[in-house]
Amino acid sequence: MRSSDLIRVSVRETDLEIELRRHPRPVASQPAASGDSGEGGSPEASYEIVAADQVGIVRFTRPTAAEGVVLETDREIAYVEALGIRNPVRSKGAGRIASVFVTDGQAVEYGQPLFALDRGA
Amino acid sequence: MFRKVLIANRGEIALRINRACQELGVATVAIFSEADRQSLHVRHADEAFCVGPGPVARSYLNIPNIISAALISGADAIHPGYGFLAENARFAEICGDHGLRFIGPKPAVIAMMGDKATARRVMAEAGVAITPGSGIVDTIEDARVEIEKVGYPVLLKASAGGGGKGMREVHAPEDLERAFTTARAEAEASFNDGRLYVEKLIIKPRHIEVQLLGDEQGNLVHLGERDCSIQKPSHQKLIEESPAFGLPRHVRDRLYDMALSAGRAVGYTNAGTLEFLVSGEQIYFMEMNTRIQVEHPVTEMVYGVDLVKEQIRISAGESLNFTQDDLHPVGHAIEVRVNAEDPANNFAPAAGSLTRVEFPGGPGVRVDTHMFSGAQIPPYYDSMIAKIIVQARTRDAAIARMERALAETRIEGVKTTIDFARDVLRDPNFIAGGVGVEYLATSFLPNWTAPSETADV
Repeated sequence: MRSSDLIRVSVRETDLEIELRRHPRPVASQPAASGDSGEGGSPEASYEIVAADQVGIVRFTRPTAAEGVVLETDREIAYVEALGIRNPVRSKGAGRIASVFVTDGQAVEYGQPLFALDRGA
Repeated sequence: MFRKVLIANRGEIALRINRACQELGVATVAIFSEADRQSLHVRHADEAFCVGPGPVARSYLNIPNIISAALISGADAIHPGYGFLAENARFAEICGDHGLRFIGPKPAVIAMMGDKATARRVMAEAGVAITPGSGIVDTIEDARVEIEKVGYPVLLKASAGGGGKGMREVHAPEDLERAFTTARAEAEASFNDGRLYVEKLIIKPRHIEVQLLGDEQGNLVHLGERDCSIQKPSHQKLIEESPAFGLPRHVRDRLYDMALSAGRAVGYTNAGTLEFLVSGEQIYFMEMNTRIQVEHPVTEMVYGVDLVKEQIRISAGESLNFTQDDLHPVGHAIEVRVNAEDPANNFAPAAGSLTRVEFPGGPGVRVDTHMFSGAQIPPYYDSMIAKIIVQARTRDAAIARMERALAETRIEGVKTTIDFARDVLRDPNFIAGGVGVEYLATSFLPNWTAPSETADV
């Protein structure tokens, strides 16, 4: 793991728990166009980060979008509750949930990564 | 006292508020934009929330995200600092609607003082001397009639205005039409409110303002005055002092009386400032700022009162633990604003990275800044990067101390106003004291030449 890949290191003192999270690569900017996966593309999977647009509490929408879940089409995978308003977080298309960076009910800030989607799946 | 305060600001004032909270044992929540992730105000706070991208409309003015951050962090109150949401009556109301204390005066008072035409009327009713002028003038003909009552020259000013926007000098009748049209267009563009009024243009006045502090039990005190006459051509303050040098005793006392009666008339609470123009014996009310001001440290230095802590205490419902008779200013204080600007190029702001930063120290010196070596200056925000404040027994000693402090200061990577301020401090007219608000732009700057790059190694 390269140090620049790290997006989270958390160390808890009681019962010592160490959590390392690696940033999925390549980051966000270029979701793979559908259908080009076979044509000499990057050997690595192409991930897209879904981030929070609001400061609030993130809640997962059922069926829960856990790691590995394949989404057939665009759907709401979570919402950010802010000032009593439910702000949907959508997958904006099909894909496989490669990573879940937050837990249900967690406080999130603007721009905080919530999910990584593998569009090539 | 509050358990936790959200600081809805950035830069040096966010740090200043954070310090006050820490000394009061109050936990702090910072907000920041994506451009300020590395900023010192984020590092010093107990918690921090990113509320949006760099542009202020989407971050530091993003009311839903700011309120949401306050609610989910369990804050009791929001301190708005200055600028951004500090004088937004609607924001103060929204805080209240969500059970959060807005650290400042009541929303109705903010709204009243924020509308300049209303503020003038209220002040006149309270017996405060206002600049001769008019109510709203809807047409050029209305303006002409009103101007003839007070005589040329006049200022056309936007009722919703501030910061010199929507403001035009009119020196003769033939200039009126163009001035009226451009001022109205600018006011509409800047404030979405094109209403204008007429004010007599006072020649060569000093800008002198009085600091008020009022609690919610009805106690109101003043903490003397600040002279902020050293202003850039854009009317932004550059050097501020307390007290105002050479101001006759009876003029000073009238300023204090007017400020206190104005504060009582509106039931003012928390920290506020009445700005006046003073020309000889004449005093004219300009506007009231319903917030902490950038230059508040000069008052703190001579009065030994922490104004930001007092704001927080007052909002938490505590009464002032001193009276007017307990307040005695000591010596003289001066503040120099250090801006990332090029004085040789019309004070054009500079963004970039600070390669080296060294601030002064020693007796009687205070530095309020969010800068450090390696800090970035994002392009989105104002260009002030530090305030250097000194206090000494006399004004001459304070000037000498400021010269020494500025000589110790090193900021590399961007152009700054430090050398310019040093030249002002050495100017015989500044040293003599009592220059007017036009002095820097019309007398000093035309004769000033920037030190050559090579001389400043």
